[in-house]
Amino acid sequence: MGDRSMSDSELGALDAERLGSADVRQRRRNALTGALFAAPALLFVTSFLLYPVAMNVWYSFTAWRKFEGLGEWAGLANYQRLATNPNFEAAAINTGIWVIASLVLPVALALALAVLLNGARFSDTAKTLFFLPRVLAPTAAGVIWYYVYAPNGVLNGFLSLFVGPVDRGWLFEDSTITPAIIVAFVWQTVGLPMVLLLIGLAAIPRDPIEAAQIDGATPGQVFLHVTLPLLLPTILVVVIISVLAGFTAFDHIWVMAQSFPGKRRLSLTVLMYYEAFTNNAWAFASAIAVVLGGIVLAVTWLQAVLQERVDRMLK
Amino acid sequence: MFIPRLKSLAIGALALCVAVPAMAQQVTLAHDKAFWDPGWTATAAEAGFTPTAYPTDQFVGFIQSSVAAGTQPGLFTWWTGRALDDLAASGGIAPVDEIWDKAIADGQFPEGLRALFSVDGKAYALPVNVARWVVLYNKDTFAKNGLSEPKTWEEFEAAMATLKAAGITPINATVQDGWRGFIWFQELMLRTNPDAYNALHSGELAYDSPEVKAAFDIWTDWASKGYFSDPRSTTEAPDFAGGNAAMYLMGEWVIGGLKEAGMDVDNNLGVFLMPNRDPAMASTLIVEGGPLVLSAKATEADRAAFEYWATEKAANTWAKSMQLFNGNLNVAPPNPVFGEVTAAMSEKDTVAYQRWWEAVPTEIRGDLVAELSSFVLNPTADQAAQAMANMQALNADYWANR
Repeated sequence: MGDRSMSDSELGALDAERLGSADVRQRRRNALTGALFAAPALLFVTSFLLYPVAMNVWYSFTAWRKFEGLGEWAGLANYQRLATNPNFEAAAINTGIWVIASLVLPVALALALAVLLNGARFSDTAKTLFFLPRVLAPTAAGVIWYYVYAPNGVLNGFLSLFVGPVDRGWLFEDSTITPAIIVAFVWQTVGLPMVLLLIGLAAIPRDPIEAAQIDGATPGQVFLHVTLPLLLPTILVVVIISVLAGFTAFDHIWVMAQSFPGKRRLSLTVLMYYEAFTNNAWAFASAIAVVLGGIVLAVTWLQAVLQERVDRMLK
Repeated sequence: MFIPRLKSLAIGALALCVAVPAMAQQVTLAHDKAFWDPGWTATAAEAGFTPTAYPTDQFVGFIQSSVAAGTQPGLFTWWTGRALDDLAASGGIAPVDEIWDKAIADGQFPEGLRALFSVDGKAYALPVNVARWVVLYNKDTFAKNGLSEPKTWEEFEAAMATLKAAGITPINATVQDGWRGFIWFQELMLRTNPDAYNALHSGELAYDSPEVKAAFDIWTDWASKGYFSDPRSTTEAPDFAGGNAAMYLMGEWVIGGLKEAGMDVDNNLGVFLMPNRDPAMASTLIVEGGPLVLSAKATEADRAAFEYWATEKAANTWAKSMQLFNGNLNVAPPNPVFGEVTAAMSEKDTVAYQRWWEAVPTEIRGDLVAELSSFVLNPTADQAAQAMANMQALNADYWANR
């Protein structure tokens, strides 16, 4: 009996072991539950994002064109072709214009609208009106604006009231097509940054503003030195959204430039689509997609770093 | 409780057994021509296939990737010329010579049509559409201006001058949707030098050669005289149907669209073959073929649905529902224009030429047509020189790498 009996320390170790194994079991169960909850999202992201991205990178190193070359290794040939493609440079420059325009115009306009509408009379109606274009499909908005810019369209008709007959083909000239499409793009997209900035404005505490006002700060000084710095985190979110929208702008351009001979030079996204679906140069189009994706990734990373610094600064 | 459940289960299993072979027999006809929906619906009801429409860009991508994966649909539409060459070379479609042999023996199709749907002497497709590219004209406008169908180049130019002097735009032509820029280039090359037209497609002739410049010179001259409509219009067919211009050079497939746009195509639409500049030249005409191909992995049901397109029944249903002609010799012409074109071709012993769109290398076609469209939008001698130089740069680069 005595031999079988266990000392207190042995019993304690056994309990600890039992408790430990129960703890491990619980942790395992938790991990399994977590994995099960995450599984649908993981499966979705892997199937519809990671796998296609990986395949796209692979295709960019093949000679896939039309029906052939899918399994044929081409090394960096498609990337070298980017340097010699006559349309790539123009498309890259136009993409740069799109990024700058989609950053400056919607953000500035949305900020102005948000400040003006914040607490103003009829602001709900105005907010709804400014947000309304956002609910349209970009292609539908593109079609509407196509007819605004048509030679016999609304814009030329309006201008004719002041300067005599105007017969400009806004969507048929190199110098006007990109600005014309950007205006349509801004018209449709300004609603979302405006709403985000309005939310940001509503979240700003009243105390520092009132303190500044008591100290005799003018409305401009209050806005510049108090409101704007406190709104910076929201502005950064809006900037990220706008920059990404500029890089990936496609629908408006594709619809509005349908009859424009130089449409393949209007942005990298359009050039990518054109090379894939018009020229059936699938591997080359994949290389454009990889380059574009790389740039977007780098810019997003830069913005994330910037946001972290701003957050730290504000704390 | 248990027995009724068992019964339901048994019925379900039975339904599944019946459904599986039925599903296996389903025939799909994939196409990118949703605008021919009434025709697909009418023929599908007779031949038992399911038409599935895709937007053109996605359709090409879908077919190319499905052929690569060996999962292409049983039947699908495609394009003739180089696009058919590529598809046949991929091994994704079946040769259909025996179907053509029988159709020709039965008097359904003329032997001459077979070449348009063949690659290296082997037939790979049946026609769903055979469109001759002719000059359509507004009979009322011609009559009001004392004009009759021009028989010679001089008469054609005189007719344009008369119409212009009367304040009527002679020719309807735009760059709508980005592909139409080639139409008058193709026609002027064919009317001035058909051999040069063909030589362009094989890389034997440069796009900045004197032969091409001659065509551009005529084009520039006519444009400077205001003979063409506003190229920026996006309602080309309705413009002509509404009487905005007197003549319209297009494939016969546009007639259905003109009718839909309200034109009285039976009474007010006239047609003539564009005259050659040199009257001694043989009569020629651009003929566009719309092919239907059969998968190399086709089932018996696929093949049966495919063979339907070689029959008079299919041709008549297609013609009635869509105003389209598929080249069948026994079909009742869907409207007077088709009959007149056939009669004119037969009378003049007209030689068919392939459309520029199908004849040029697909790799550079988009860039070439963009240059032609740039000229249509700005038809000056400088722009012509620029277009020729740019096209030749693309052409030379393409053929240097072959």
